[in-house]
Amino acid sequence: MAAPHIPNLNTLRNARGTSRGRGRGQGSGGPSITSYEEDKIAKDKIVQQTDQDASVSRLSAVEAGYLDDPFAKYFVSGEGQRRLPIINRGTYVRTKAIDNLVDEFLSKNPAQRKQIISLGAGSDTRFFRLMSRRPVPHGRGIQECPNVIYHEIDFQANTIQKLHPIKKLSELCSHVGTPMTISHSTNPSEVYNDDTLHADQYHVHPVDLRNLGPSRPAPRSFDFIDNALPTLIISECCLCYLPPAAADTVALYFTRHLFPDSTPVGLILYEPIHPNDPFGKTMVSNLAARGIVLQTLKRYGSLEAQAARMKSYGLEGTGGASVKNLWDKGVEGNEKERVAGLEMVDEVEEWELLAGHYCVAWGWRGGPEDGVWDGWQSMAEQLGGN
Amino acid sequence: MSDLDKAISELRACKIIPEPQVREICHKARELLIEEANVVQVDAPVTICGDIHGQFHDLMELFRVGGDVPDTNYLFMGDFVDRGFYSLESFLLLLCLKVRYPDRITLIRGNHESRQITTVYGFYDECLRKYGSANVWRYCCEVFDYLALGALVLGTSSTLEPSFTDKSQAIEPVDDDVEIEIMNSRNEVTARFPRSRRRLFESDGLNSSPPGTPSKTGPSGTGATSDSGGSHHSGGAVLCVHGGLSPLIDSVDKIRLLDRKQEVPHEGAMCDLLWSDPDEIDSWGLSPRGAGFLFGPEIVKRFNHLNDLSLIARAHQLVMEGFKEMFDSSIVTVWSAPNYCYRCGNVAAILELGEDTSNGGVIARSNGDAGRSAQAFMPNLAPRSGPGRRYRVFEAAPQDPRGMPAKKPVADYFL
Ligand SMILES: C[S@@+](CC[C@H](N)C(=O)[O-])C[C@H]1O[C@@H](n2cnc3c(N)ncnc32)[C@H](O)[C@@H]1O
Repeated sequence: MAAPHIPNLNTLRNARGTSRGRGRGQGSGGPSITSYEEDKIAKDKIVQQTDQDASVSRLSAVEAGYLDDPFAKYFVSGEGQRRLPIINRGTYVRTKAIDNLVDEFLSKNPAQRKQIISLGAGSDTRFFRLMSRRPVPHGRGIQECPNVIYHEIDFQANTIQKLHPIKKLSELCSHVGTPMTISHSTNPSEVYNDDTLHADQYHVHPVDLRNLGPSRPAPRSFDFIDNALPTLIISECCLCYLPPAAADTVALYFTRHLFPDSTPVGLILYEPIHPNDPFGKTMVSNLAARGIVLQTLKRYGSLEAQAARMKSYGLEGTGGASVKNLWDKGVEGNEKERVAGLEMVDEVEEWELLAGHYCVAWGWRGGPEDGVWDGWQSMAEQLGGN
Repeated sequence: MSDLDKAISELRACKIIPEPQVREICHKARELLIEEANVVQVDAPVTICGDIHGQFHDLMELFRVGGDVPDTNYLFMGDFVDRGFYSLESFLLLLCLKVRYPDRITLIRGNHESRQITTVYGFYDECLRKYGSANVWRYCCEVFDYLALGALVLGTSSTLEPSFTDKSQAIEPVDDDVEIEIMNSRNEVTARFPRSRRRLFESDGLNSSPPGTPSKTGPSGTGATSDSGGSHHSGGAVLCVHGGLSPLIDSVDKIRLLDRKQEVPHEGAMCDLLWSDPDEIDSWGLSPRGAGFLFGPEIVKRFNHLNDLSLIARAHQLVMEGFKEMFDSSIVTVWSAPNYCYRCGNVAAILELGEDTSNGGVIARSNGDAGRSAQAFMPNLAPRSGPGRRYRVFEAAPQDPRGMPAKKPVADYFL
């Protein structure tokens, strides 16, 4: 009985961790660059490459039937690889949980224009998935293509990578709409070039988040961020790669500095937790061996710490759940049966360990009269606990 | 040195052996295994091991901690392959040892000893990678089909023999009242639990104290079930199976009647024995694994009573402390893959059962035979006094002394 269709997980493992270039990296180590800078560039490159891991996992979950995402394949460079069932399930749970929070946000007063800012968006396909929605004849409002402006921020190396297929493929660029011009610039290359895109509803910003701060000038492309629109900020496994103080600065920059108090603001974080138990310690050291340092993990290592963190960002309402709990309590009836039946999951105990070490946390402020965050509140209540 | 001994020493060095030799060894192993009953009878003393999953270096550590073959008798409860990097070397070594010392080592089948599962969880790929074809995988799968489904350990002692120690050390006798002893990989006792106070563990189900922290506080002492009175007694019969019980199987004899020489089916008694898990539920429940069942304390106690068993030993489930006794010590999970998948951070354990010498070494009882009447069973009956149990807890194999890290796959995380 041959199974040539099943790829070899171990070759994948060997290949990762080595410096597979992304085609164009950040800077090339010229003789003037000090070793400190070289080190910094090398470290940044590892962080940038984590997106390849995320996009390969996403495609694996799509191909195994967990997620419906026709766009995932366009953002995987090279060959896809099949992931273990527990990794597929985790990718599914995380994606669905964030999708649900996004839907709750968008479906309140659908006529009201809203804004989403994705930090370290990488190869995230959410914008395209939202834009490809078509009204279902008798469906609910949220199935329609939403009235939203979507911003993605990532390192330049990543935005170049992201925009490459978007510019080339009609399947993608048809959703982007017309590129627009920056008011104070007549240079079209600033609008739609290798690393930047500004269109009606979609903006891609090549920005190193660590350069943001209240006392620094904002990147010019941030002119496209409308500080009056109810806004959702997403960090899906991004801020955890920043030093804790920098992560806080970035979060506060968006929750406090960029938006006035009158603007409703929500924040979604997807991050690892529990670094101190045996599984967590092994996770930290295994990732460290690949050069990946989860910098905020110690400070924000539990759901309680994440909730307190949200408050410190000025967000009054908070919710959060481990991926394990999101699976146990957040995926319902038929859908759970469907997903559980996709692959035989022999790694039940391993799943509980792994899924217990990641969480989605959410926090919000403002907009009580419109009930923008009602759905978030009920998700917090439904999924409360661990 | 015979070819077999050469193969063993190659494999011990974690080197693969030529394909024709694999074929020959698999053939010989099949001839041996075909003679074994579905439930192999094994005499104490024996060391019971759980999942290995291709973690070859940790298997070497297991032999270092538990004693080498043939000095120590071993019973491996399946899941030799998949997940780890060295399923081939691990399984072939165990198989060679089986062929070389058939009475010293017993191998029973786990749910990963299956064509279907090995194509998903790594063993198939490993064979292709290391031999360039699926032939070796095919030979191994043919052996899988002949592995026994369970084992019955007879002639156990209710007390613990002193642990083997450094020859220079004086052997310290173990108090007869000790039912459970936990030792670390340096051969040091980290905890002892006397029989009269065994209920300590029961409250949270997880009974092992973390290695290195000997329990000072005594058990809560709710039930003094001691009937040993300090003298040597039989520890009763221990049924070993990879997963657990099946709603279709109410006696050990029924296992004996199964036709086992086939790929693990998707359902039915044989599937359940390899896939099921104990759980704190009333009777039977659906398994989250998609095969086998969950079974509760009353099911186990009833089964043990009807079959005159003192304990069921099984593997199959990762337990962070290496072992976990449940349901008033009527069943134990033994897990022998430390830092499972190079990711889980768990320790591993093996379970040593000593030999009952009170009767001049003659095994008097024919435990495991069905025949106790169902009416005689009362659910609240104190469990039959079990064998003395020594758990040796060990950690993942240290890195190569020359500083070369043992080649390990990179574990997946969500990034
Ligand atoms: C693990 S990936 C996650 C990608 C995507 N959010 C997802 O979940 O699929 C982390 C992303 O964060 C980005 N990132 C990390 N630090 C950043 C920084 N200082 N500035 C901008 N982007 C950053 C990385 O480049 C990478 O694309």
